[in-house]
Amino acid sequence: MRRFIWPAVLLALVIVYPLVLSTPFQQRLGALVLLYAIAASAWNIVGGYAGQVSVGHVVFFGCGAYAAMGAYAHFGLPPLVGVPAGMVLAVVIAAVIGVPTLRLSGHYFSMATIAVAELVRLVVTNTDYLGAAVGLSGPTVPRNVFDLSFVSSLPFYYLFLVVLGLTLLITWWVAESRMGFYLRAIKDSERAARSLGAPASRIKLQAYMLSAGLTSVAGAFYAMMVGFVDPESGLGILISVKMLIMAALGGAGLLFGPLVGAAILVPLEELSNSWLGGKGAGLTFVVYGAIIVLIARFQPSGILTLITRRIALITRYIERRTKARELRKQRPAAGADHAA
Amino acid sequence: MSFVLVQVIVGGLLLGAVYALFSSGLTLVWGMMNIVNFAHGDFVMLGMYVAYVVYTLLGAGPLIGAPLATLFLATLGVIVYFALIRDIMKGPMLAQILGTFGLALLLRYSVFWWFGANFLSLPQNIVGGTIAAFGLRIEAARLLAGAVALLVTLALHLLLTRTALGSKMLAVAEDATAAQLMGIRPDTMQAIAWAIAAGATGLAGALIATFFYIVPTVGETLAIVAFVTVSLGGFGSVPGALVAGLLIGVIESLSGYLIGAVYKDIVVYALFVSFLWFRPQGLMGKS
Amino acid sequence: MRLKNVLGLVSAAALTLAFTAGASAEDKVVKIGAILPMSGNAASAGIHAKAALEVALDIINNAHPELGNFPLAKNAGLAGLGGAKVEVVFADNQGSPATGQNQALRLITEEKVAALIGAYQSGITLTTSAIAEKYGIPFLTPESVAANLTERGFKWFFRTTPIATDFAKVYTDFLADMKAAGASTESIALVHDNTEYGTSVAGTLTTAFKEKGQNILDISYASNATDVQSQVLQLKEKKPDVVLMISYTSDAILFAKTMQAQDYKPAILLADDAGYSDPSFIKAVGKISQGAFNRSSWSVGPQGSATAVIADLYKKKSGDDMDDTAGREMQGFFVLVDAIDRAGSTEPAKIQAALRATDLKPEQLMMGYKGVKFDDKGQNILASGVIIQLQDGENYVAVWPKANAEKPPALPYKGW
Repeated sequence: MRRFIWPAVLLALVIVYPLVLSTPFQQRLGALVLLYAIAASAWNIVGGYAGQVSVGHVVFFGCGAYAAMGAYAHFGLPPLVGVPAGMVLAVVIAAVIGVPTLRLSGHYFSMATIAVAELVRLVVTNTDYLGAAVGLSGPTVPRNVFDLSFVSSLPFYYLFLVVLGLTLLITWWVAESRMGFYLRAIKDSERAARSLGAPASRIKLQAYMLSAGLTSVAGAFYAMMVGFVDPESGLGILISVKMLIMAALGGAGLLFGPLVGAAILVPLEELSNSWLGGKGAGLTFVVYGAIIVLIARFQPSGILTLITRRIALITRYIERRTKARELRKQRPAAGADHAA
Repeated sequence: MSFVLVQVIVGGLLLGAVYALFSSGLTLVWGMMNIVNFAHGDFVMLGMYVAYVVYTLLGAGPLIGAPLATLFLATLGVIVYFALIRDIMKGPMLAQILGTFGLALLLRYSVFWWFGANFLSLPQNIVGGTIAAFGLRIEAARLLAGAVALLVTLALHLLLTRTALGSKMLAVAEDATAAQLMGIRPDTMQAIAWAIAAGATGLAGALIATFFYIVPTVGETLAIVAFVTVSLGGFGSVPGALVAGLLIGVIESLSGYLIGAVYKDIVVYALFVSFLWFRPQGLMGKS
Repeated sequence: MRLKNVLGLVSAAALTLAFTAGASAEDKVVKIGAILPMSGNAASAGIHAKAALEVALDIINNAHPELGNFPLAKNAGLAGLGGAKVEVVFADNQGSPATGQNQALRLITEEKVAALIGAYQSGITLTTSAIAEKYGIPFLTPESVAANLTERGFKWFFRTTPIATDFAKVYTDFLADMKAAGASTESIALVHDNTEYGTSVAGTLTTAFKEKGQNILDISYASNATDVQSQVLQLKEKKPDVVLMISYTSDAILFAKTMQAQDYKPAILLADDAGYSDPSFIKAVGKISQGAFNRSSWSVGPQGSATAVIADLYKKKSGDDMDDTAGREMQGFFVLVDAIDRAGSTEPAKIQAALRATDLKPEQLMMGYKGVKFDDKGQNILASGVIIQLQDGENYVAVWPKANAEKPPALPYKGW
């Protein structure tokens, strides 16, 4: 039972957050944290659990974003249609990309995914149907509730929370299943995993496609919230890197790692930008970069491991104290017995 | 028509030599330590700014700027190695990306903070105009950079294959523990490798500055090219980076001329991805 | 120690109280939010725009009798609001449409700005103005040119800058005059990057030129190129009469260098603002781009004129010469503040009404527009441009139309 206490506390905190810190900016910040957590958690399946460091996941993010905006721009449909459409698209594209690139190992895989992502960005930049460099916009004025165009970020917040919950549930289920076992084996040593009879290629591809589909959901919701996508904001390599550093910072291969990473990085980015960005001296990124460097240097396995270690200490301390108190309670009673 | 084509190819070769020049440092640390330096493009950028500062303070060209940039970056490389790389090397690959990406932002925006965001540039004729011969026109600055690219490649290659230091470095790259048992200090070797790699990158920056613009974000443009060059050439292979650089330069130049400039990067990336399909270890990498 | 801290806090609070209590109606502050790219690839433009706004603030908040009848200059603060001062809260959009929105939201809900100005990149202007629209806050863009911005039926969106259709008119008229003067203008090469700015402007110009029966050679390239030799060789081979460059600073510098290296000079080199207006461009390669024409709405004007004084103030502030982008930013800001002044209120609806009623005459402007007057969509219908030329390689002079010209246009393109 105890393993559920901390997740329950976390869940309670996350549910209450936008009601306590309730200014529009704080609510939007919260929604963005959850959104990036969805993307980073999706990335985590293949990048964290399986150790296949993809730097091209923005392609799938873009699938969702473009599907959502395209559904509106070309068919007048609510952008929400882009969620399933983007998922299908992302899964298909993942299969096409995955078959050749997943054969590569280590850095070659990372570099190949970067190249594929750049390739897709360049092709989209030159495709008029996808808005080319101008990009695609969503409905400027919401026609009905399905357009998900709210003034407040609160509906987005809880929507993203549900989606994140589902993503984490799927991740948890995968991690606990035979597939998760194989993925970890592949991460440790692909050759060893193969020699033990793990169908490594098939498992990697399945994980990649699952991860791609979930990433596209984040992309679709991103585009809906912002109401716009262009090649830079929907397919720029920086988005891939962000997913990666959020997962790495929080703790890659851990269920809540990406969420912790997003909860640190997104506010850090937005608040430092709010404080320093207006000076126009680039100080935002000096601070941001320095903090990332420090974390990589002193906590290379991510913040979550640090937190869990602390929590373990606290839990043990509390346990010891309660036990001691119980003992103390029992002892005088026992003494009384003897006296009697 | 055919004559223009020769000019296009020559231009592509010179461009490719420059790609090779700023990729050699990346391939060296990549091959030796299995670490991707996401701050590589920003090392090039720093080299360019050193050249710029040397010009504004001393009025001197690359003759002084290039050695100073090499020295400055080599020092920085050693500092970065001991302060950051040595520790994150032991961590997972993700921590390496995290660390070097953070470093990239830190360097880029420190320069931004100090120098501002204006586009800077060295005087047009700092290396000496354009050479016209056999109907071809070649910028002297690019020719110099190309020649240095060949020299640097040759020097690094000889260093790694013909000297005791090179053998020691390769031994550390092969198996650090075994090397240590043989009395080689991995720390020292890797620090030297970082000094050489960063120094070569600084040199590249100083030379590129003679014909390119200088701006804090310029490293972003160059970093991806360097990544592709290095993976195409094979991680750790210095001659591979040269061949790959020249190849990419010529492909870009030709496709830019024959198909259209917006498509040249598409052609390069598409060829690169399909090439990896046939030869995952790159042109000259070990499988 | 702790007591000292408490005492310090108390006295600080007392001081703040004293100050705010002393602040009467005449010290009222009008806050305006400015969202600009101040990091990333477009930072150079954003930081210059920031300097321009700071100069505008100086002009508005302090008495500047040397500017004559220039609106808002004569007295300190806004007359319409009892001498209220104007303050700008700057925010960095980091080149991201989402970040732009976050900052817009923060400026509106936390800084309580009366209006927003920005956001340079059209895509970011698109998304940030959507936030302003939802909150009912006026948003004025002085520099984003994408056509779709004013086609969204927004009620709170205003744009002072000329757009691609205005550019097309300037170019066709200018080239017609050049043709009348004996220059050949039959074939035109449009050299443009594949950014939103490059493709959309090139698209509009292509249609306009084709209507005039001119031949178009379209040479597009990816922005932030590492090399442009192939494109220059294409030009050299095709020999168009006019080369029209639609490029940002980085590529503009590279093109100028490569043209010299390949010894290529078109008879007429015409540039569409952007990179060719950047003072960094002139510093880097002005000397090898002598005789380049450039579309602009800014020209310094004669000594002692309002524009010359403004140019001087700007140079002192930023260290660089005033260029068209910074000028348009400043002009847009003056238009916005003028509306607030006339509204006599910081209430959004009143500012909106005042913006709608804007009717500024050319002599009230620092830019070469024919005036400022918004249509129903919020577009300034009197926006226009002039042609300037880099005759000596150091300073642009206005050469067209005749009414604005300081010198006659010099042909052909000299280069270096």
